[in-house]
Amino acid sequence: MKHTISVLVENHFGVLARVSALFSARGYNIDSLSVGETEDPATSRMTVVVRGDDSVLEQITKQLNKLVDVIEVIDLTERNFVERELLLMRVGAEGSQRGEIVEIVTIFRAKVVDVSPDSMIIEVTGSEGKAEAFIDMMRPFGIQELVRTGEIAIGRSHARRD
Amino acid sequence: MTGADLIIQVFLDEGVDTVFGYNGGAILPTYDAVFRYNDTRGDRPPLNLIVPANEQGAGFMAAGYARATGKVGAFLVTSGPGATNCVTPIRDCMADSVPVVLITGQVARPSIGTDAFQEAPVYNIMSACAKHVFLVSDESQLEATIRSAFEIARSGRPGPVVVDVPKDVQNHVVPFQGKGLLDLKGYNRHLGEMNKARVTPQDAREFFKMLTRARRPLIYAGGGVINGNACEELRAFSKRYQLPVVTTLMGIGSVDTTDDLALHMLGMHGTAYANYAVDDCDFLMAIGARFDDRVAGKVEEFAPNATIAHIDIDAAEIGKVKAVDWSCVCNAKTALRDLLEAGKKVKLDCAPWLDHVATLKVAHRFDWERDTDKIQPQEVLAILNAMTRGKAIICTGVGQHQMWTAQYLDFHKPRTFITSGSMGTMGFGLPAAIGAKFGCPDKVVIDIDGDGSLRMNIGELETATNYGVPVKVLLLNNHGDGMVLQWQRLYFGHRFMGTDKTMTKRNFVKTAEAVGYRFARRVSDRAELKKALKAFINAKGPAFLEIVTDQDADVFPMVGPGLGYKNMITGPHIQDRGDPEPDTEELGHSDAF
Repeated sequence: MKHTISVLVENHFGVLARVSALFSARGYNIDSLSVGETEDPATSRMTVVVRGDDSVLEQITKQLNKLVDVIEVIDLTERNFVERELLLMRVGAEGSQRGEIVEIVTIFRAKVVDVSPDSMIIEVTGSEGKAEAFIDMMRPFGIQELVRTGEIAIGRSHARRD
Repeated sequence: MTGADLIIQVFLDEGVDTVFGYNGGAILPTYDAVFRYNDTRGDRPPLNLIVPANEQGAGFMAAGYARATGKVGAFLVTSGPGATNCVTPIRDCMADSVPVVLITGQVARPSIGTDAFQEAPVYNIMSACAKHVFLVSDESQLEATIRSAFEIARSGRPGPVVVDVPKDVQNHVVPFQGKGLLDLKGYNRHLGEMNKARVTPQDAREFFKMLTRARRPLIYAGGGVINGNACEELRAFSKRYQLPVVTTLMGIGSVDTTDDLALHMLGMHGTAYANYAVDDCDFLMAIGARFDDRVAGKVEEFAPNATIAHIDIDAAEIGKVKAVDWSCVCNAKTALRDLLEAGKKVKLDCAPWLDHVATLKVAHRFDWERDTDKIQPQEVLAILNAMTRGKAIICTGVGQHQMWTAQYLDFHKPRTFITSGSMGTMGFGLPAAIGAKFGCPDKVVIDIDGDGSLRMNIGELETATNYGVPVKVLLLNNHGDGMVLQWQRLYFGHRFMGTDKTMTKRNFVKTAEAVGYRFARRVSDRAELKKALKAFINAKGPAFLEIVTDQDADVFPMVGPGLGYKNMITGPHIQDRGDPEPDTEELGHSDAF
């Protein structure tokens, strides 16, 4: 099962290395990991998407909690949360293809951010499912390059543990 | 004061009296600070600095010191190779939860990342092995970082902490506060919760409901009882409810091995009676133990008839290997005190079980091959035990001699059996013994070693004589890596690849004499055994005794890797109780670790 884990950490040198070392040392696979500063510059929040059964997730959570630099670990999957991913894509687009692409972009509420004679750059935000669906729609046009941020997620109100 | 002076001052504030380490380019300022402190200390106590042959030795000396005293061990090495030579002891300390602080010199900040001379990515390397690592990139954080390193090492589940200090930080003039820790929000919150943890009245009621329902209760105690200074409480608990106790390798010494209720070590090479008791029990109370594969074997078949209660300071250990019926995340001392208090009126009547256990202990006692002229290692240890009577600090290497030591020697007190358990690091024994002797100068300290293990850090023989450290080295030389030979006999058709050392030309006695051992003897005739051991024990100063033992001796009992206790092989000399033995041929090249 897919789990989205939110990890609040000290915003220190090397913390990312420690967290990723824990995952690799214990053989856990990360689908995606994104990290950035929070409202408090002294802390960063990592959103880690992993797959595993309940016992694996329990171990991941407990082992993360043991790291000195980890302040809080929340498995958002058990709660009400909002997830988003940002995706940038350069897709081949010549002549009449442009119109078709723009139509799909509109339906997905995506954005064309750059156009050149033979390609377009498109920005999509949304859930993992939306991103996957958009990629499928674009494949026939010839995706030249694809960059994804990985999921970030935030709990709805009262998601924080006291 | 300079960063170097500050490091030494914090060491002194933390009660460090002995530092182990090897000097080098990137740590020179801090070594100089030790010299200058000792030179101008006046009436203050000196800071001993003990230089090993190899930094790995320094690490195991610090670990031996920490294991023997319960205090944080400290070691101090240079960058690059100095630091990487410490990876093994750091991982060893992590695996056995031993509190040590390692300070590594690092190249100066402007040179970090330039592949400078003797540069290694210590933070990255140690991240994967240590409880925590710091790279001091801001000199104003140095003092709080070093103090926090000690605090992290000894608190919660203890472990090793590495502080990487660039050379220019050591040279920098820094303010000295005399106190103050880093603000570690997450760690401090977890620690606070851990320190407040108690056995709630509700939990206690459920625990005693299970215990009173049991007819065959057993305690399974691990190293956490010793780390948590809970041995008195465990002994009181065992006595109060008349609960027999099996211990892990790391738990040896948590109860007095000569006590009637002590069933000694369980697991792969545990006593037959301990393993039978685990098979027979209907309630198992695990405390400070973690169902390691050398204990649990085939997890589904471990304690198959028992409801299980588990007390551990580390939440991640609960349910990691084996699902349990009752658990409490708490330090062992508090948990046992709370349970003793809550169970004041509880009465158990398990007399038939105690009779059963007493019968097991007699019927399945240890024995060895007596019909031979070759010296049997078990006999050597039995004779030694009669002389030391559980009062010495015993260190070991890793392998057969380690298991026989765990089986045959008595230990009255915790922190007297010092061994590399989880990592199983050959070469641990001698440096650990040197460190233990610095920590406990009034105790007799003996390293019981094998030829393979001793060879790994044989350079440290010289360290003992350099400093006149009166450690005793008892070498059981079977000219081979005995434990691996045993597995090759069992599982690899007697093909002794890489493990038979009969070709070796080394004369161990001359080796010891060459570095200044006045007492250095070799025994190959069984008739001389007792006399030689007596002289060895009575010798003053560093002493070395090599005993040539039978290479064919096996460690029994043995529960094969990945097997259940019902498949235990007791061998030709220990009585079994007729359970089917596994077909080792069929087992073949086992993938089970």
